[in-house]
Amino acid sequence: MKRVLMAASMGASILLAACGGTTATNTPATGAGAPVPPAAALQGTGATFPAPFYDAARFAYNLKYSQVTVNYNPLGSGAGISALTKKVVDFGASDVPMNPTELTAAGGADAVVQIASTLGTESLAYNLSGVSNGQLKLTPQTIAGIFLGTIKNWNDPALAADNSGVTLPNQAISVVHRSDGSGTTYIFTDYLSTVSADWKSKVGKGKSVSWPVGQGAKGNEAVATTIKQTPGAIGYVELAYVLQTNMTQASLQNHDGKFVIPSPEGATAAAGQYLSINPTQFSIVDAPGPKSAPISGYSWLMLYKDQADKTKGTALVDFLDWLVSDGQQYALNVHYAGLPANIVKDDIISLKTVTSTGTTLLNVPAPS
Amino acid sequence: MVPPPLVAASRQRRLVSGDRVFSVIAYGAAGLIMLIAAIFIIALVVPALPAVTKFGLGFFTSRTWDPVRNDFGALAPIYGTLVTSAIALLIAFPIGLGAALFLAEDARLQLLRGPLSFLIELLAGIPSVVIGLWAFFILTALLRDKVDPFLQHALGFLPLFRGTPTGYGFLTAGLVLAIMVLPIMIALSRDVIRAVPRELREASLALGATNAETTWSVILPYARVGITGAVLLSLGRALGETIAVTMVIGNNVQISASLFATGYTLPSVIANEFTEANGNVYLGSLFYLGVVLVVITIVVNVLARLLIWRFSGSARATA
Repeated sequence: MKRVLMAASMGASILLAACGGTTATNTPATGAGAPVPPAAALQGTGATFPAPFYDAARFAYNLKYSQVTVNYNPLGSGAGISALTKKVVDFGASDVPMNPTELTAAGGADAVVQIASTLGTESLAYNLSGVSNGQLKLTPQTIAGIFLGTIKNWNDPALAADNSGVTLPNQAISVVHRSDGSGTTYIFTDYLSTVSADWKSKVGKGKSVSWPVGQGAKGNEAVATTIKQTPGAIGYVELAYVLQTNMTQASLQNHDGKFVIPSPEGATAAAGQYLSINPTQFSIVDAPGPKSAPISGYSWLMLYKDQADKTKGTALVDFLDWLVSDGQQYALNVHYAGLPANIVKDDIISLKTVTSTGTTLLNVPAPS
Repeated sequence: MVPPPLVAASRQRRLVSGDRVFSVIAYGAAGLIMLIAAIFIIALVVPALPAVTKFGLGFFTSRTWDPVRNDFGALAPIYGTLVTSAIALLIAFPIGLGAALFLAEDARLQLLRGPLSFLIELLAGIPSVVIGLWAFFILTALLRDKVDPFLQHALGFLPLFRGTPTGYGFLTAGLVLAIMVLPIMIALSRDVIRAVPRELREASLALGATNAETTWSVILPYARVGITGAVLLSLGRALGETIAVTMVIGNNVQISASLFATGYTLPSVIANEFTEANGNVYLGSLFYLGVVLVVITIVVNVLARLLIWRFSGSARATA
């Protein structure tokens, strides 16, 4: 045998989230009165959904305080939770807060602080020739029907009833969903479980579910591309991807019966309907209110309440305090919605509980 | 008088100690490989245990994959893996064998042989993600708009070609795999055919057989075992291919007779779901799939090796 072409069929992918240990030595002059974070390199990992926002924000924060560098590795919400539990990162990020089992693994509910970091909303993007952006109207019932596979063709009478004036083609509906586990899927299936008893009993909600119909694509980008490539396709996509790639998206009927095109403002309106949220009561899908975008949700950041390294911990809470307040302006640039004032307040109160050897690390006045 | 030693004693001692150092390094390297293999097996089986204890052998017959209810079964991904690999081999076998015969046998086009061999090796060197990218953007649309409607028109009476073609699914994934295993198929078959003793060929021609008759009745039967080995090695490659398949299979846990339907393969499930697989049973089920895949791949590869080894051995003995 002269040549043997032997392809190694097994590839092992090792994901290492290493803790940045470098500490810069130069500290800039302290501004008058304003607390300045100490020099530190912070490491975070987790959800992909808010990654564009975190990237914009950490860059802006570093311009403001050059002594603090923040790294963020978007490996998925599950990776964010497990990296935090194994203490290989300073903060984790997830689209769904840690559940009781995960909290127990991380040392108990009292050991971890979870804060809402940003707010996003989802669109139903479609590929139908002759049906322009926002022209297609979908109700909770038709959305559930399409994703359950009971509505199979675009000319279905149920769809025609809500879309008088629009000619929907005689074309099979190709449903596209996420194949990888994701917070985007969690929020969408949470929505379907809320509006459809059928969906709740047959499928349920989760970061991965057993889809009755359709095909899966990996990541928001691949779902968006698959929809763009497939005539007759429809799928749920994070709003930012829809706006950035100029996809056509449906008007969605919200809880009040009004048809809205999902937008950051719609997400803020939906969030404003809930005075407080916490890691066990955080769902804001199908929110009441005339302007509410129905498929909206928060994204979360997690850190340990007791910080072993005081310097790092101080820089971390300062960064997060900035992220949920001044940093929110960077969310709008990348099509996420700003946090409502009441949630910012809750976040800062939570951050003030973070300590190192018994000392509170965040010394800002309690929000009123 | 004793003749002087060929090598001075001091140098001999140095050689001996050099030998010793070398053998220690060699044994160490060999041992390290075994250690890595052992660690790998343990690291694969131990995390799979929660799923193994919960589902047992029922894992192989259940077609449910429901992360919400923590109920998992491997039947759909096993089916997808086998179907896509079978399509790949059905396409790659005749093309690969034909190309191999041309490369090994036909002397009339000597000039083409070099460039063609080079091209085949080039094809083998294209990273699978690049093939996947091409398939995702170009092949899916081509199949959906041209090939699938034609197949449906011509062979639509078969359950294999029913349903709405979307460009994604078993057929597309099988085609992509066929492209990826072709170089292996061609290169191995060519080497096996070349190893057929010249005397057999000449004897057949001397008896008045034509080139085609010689190929059909002498060369192919002789090389049969080796070609089977080439097929099995191609199969081994097809079974484990992940990224390119994930991009076009449609990633849907279902078993369908239609080749236009979307499906799932063992490596694709793992690649898609490991980041968010929370809970021991869910993650364990992914590792369980990994164990299934490793076992299938090892069995196929060992069979292939044995066949090729047997062929080369007998070829050498007769030569």
